[in-house]
Amino acid sequence: MTPEERELRRALDSRSAEVSPEFRARLASVLAEGRPAASYFLPALAAVAAVVLMFATVGVLLMARQARNQPPPAAATTPTPTPTPTLDPTRFSVPGVVHVPTGAIILPSDAQLSAPSSHDIWVLMENQYLYRSTDQGKTWKQMPLPPLGPSSHQEISFVTDAEGWLMTEGPALARCSRDVIDIWQTLDAGRNWEHIGAKGISDSECKAELSFVDSNRGFLDAFGMNHQPSIYRTIDGGRSWVAGGPLPGSPGFTPPAGGPNLVPGRVRAFGSTLLVAASAPNTIKATEFIFRSTDGGASWTYLAPAKDPNNQVVFLTATRWLQLIGPGQSTETTNGGSSWHRYASDYSQAAPVSANFDFADSVVGYGTVRGEIYRTVDGGLHWTTIHTPGT
Amino acid sequence: MIGEPQAEDRLRRARAGDARAFGELLAPVLDQGFRLAMTMLKDRNAAEDAVQEAALKSWRKLDRFRYGADLRPWFLAIVANECRSMRRSRWWQVIRSDEVEPQGHAAPLEGGWADSIDLNAALDRLPKHHLLTLTLYYHLDLPIEEVARVLGCSAGAARQRIHRALAALRPGMVLEVGR
Repeated sequence: MTPEERELRRALDSRSAEVSPEFRARLASVLAEGRPAASYFLPALAAVAAVVLMFATVGVLLMARQARNQPPPAAATTPTPTPTPTLDPTRFSVPGVVHVPTGAIILPSDAQLSAPSSHDIWVLMENQYLYRSTDQGKTWKQMPLPPLGPSSHQEISFVTDAEGWLMTEGPALARCSRDVIDIWQTLDAGRNWEHIGAKGISDSECKAELSFVDSNRGFLDAFGMNHQPSIYRTIDGGRSWVAGGPLPGSPGFTPPAGGPNLVPGRVRAFGSTLLVAASAPNTIKATEFIFRSTDGGASWTYLAPAKDPNNQVVFLTATRWLQLIGPGQSTETTNGGSSWHRYASDYSQAAPVSANFDFADSVVGYGTVRGEIYRTVDGGLHWTTIHTPGT
Repeated sequence: MIGEPQAEDRLRRARAGDARAFGELLAPVLDQGFRLAMTMLKDRNAAEDAVQEAALKSWRKLDRFRYGADLRPWFLAIVANECRSMRRSRWWQVIRSDEVEPQGHAAPLEGGWADSIDLNAALDRLPKHHLLTLTLYYHLDLPIEEVARVLGCSAGAARQRIHRALAALRPGMVLEVGR
């Protein structure tokens, strides 16, 4: 080992720490009693530090948000932003830019999918490289993104081969006591991006799973500590958002103390029917519940539990859903969760990590786990691995 | 390694829902799982949440764990995934303004490692997948084969990933990976 490697080892060691007796006890308690985790009690000193940190960070957050609301400064390699004449100073357009990876992306990595049609598929790799395929993933082309500064997390949602949205997240506080997001829209496959902001969306709570179902209707989950999650909705392409009614309680489910009540997934639309699945982290008993809205997301009703609470429910139609787990384990319902039966899918993946799926329609769908991408063209029966862009 | 009769019995009981048996299975790898989470997240509360969720998830998934396999890379893979999970990470993350990753790759350091502050800052800026790779190899001291199992790739690819992570941290760094 070289001196430089020893120095690196010391630097990594300095970031680390040992398990505390308190955590060992908490974990043992959670495992032994089969109950949700105890509340995240903070010692008084830590609580004071958190408050100080929160106030100190508020200023940074405000400055960061203000900075994001302004066109980015011109750089040598970045096209000059060209504000669009508008009465709203927070709305402006900038040309997209392509940051080419300095080398091939090595798997496992992170991939985020958005499949707007049976032929088109968009992938955001490593939270920073956007790719599009118009031939079901046979060929890929890297597409531009807004010339933004650092963002801890980004999400994409596309409704065509050209129209889509990008959600960026600024610095956040632990457990989303503050979570500031921003939204951009493109109508020309990323060549230009319009900053549309996040009007109506609170800076508190975690935000996740941006999902547009057409040019106007979009959804964004919001969840936080000790209360039911809600789902923001827009009917004007993201120009304004309102919070929908909270997801109702589910039979037999006791929300965990000290954690988010339920974390919803992506909203899917089938005509006027909206479906969303939600699960609870940090609970001893896995949960996965399905909720439905028939009023555009203004209110939600509990519909059914998943067959296997450990795995994601994939919606192909309003009534046909799958749980893709592994050979001999996958299940299907064709009556909206009233009954489930075995489904002879050949889907399989070795990693002890569940895949995320996105179906363009009832036939063509994609799944990704740790950057690998799988495709089905027969409604989930057969799956093939396709080339991950950038790799 | 799960393989001895006692360990197999423990695994069987854990699968059947015996919390004590699962706790005994987890005990030898819990500390390394926590150190991995701490290095990745740099926040004790966040690391504890990540490890707790990983423990619960691994218990639920225990029927997919096969006799004779090594629990450590299996559990560490789940911890690593919890640390970088998109949905959960927002719940756990504590990002300070000087810790946000820049767009693109981390800026390489000029000069050597003499200034450890620079090295720590470079680790903060390093993309998470590179940080994970370096943590597994240099901090947890896992052999290359086990690093590969956590990452879900071949030993050769794991070695390549370590090289790339070091290159992202500092081009030209002298190292002995795989020698």
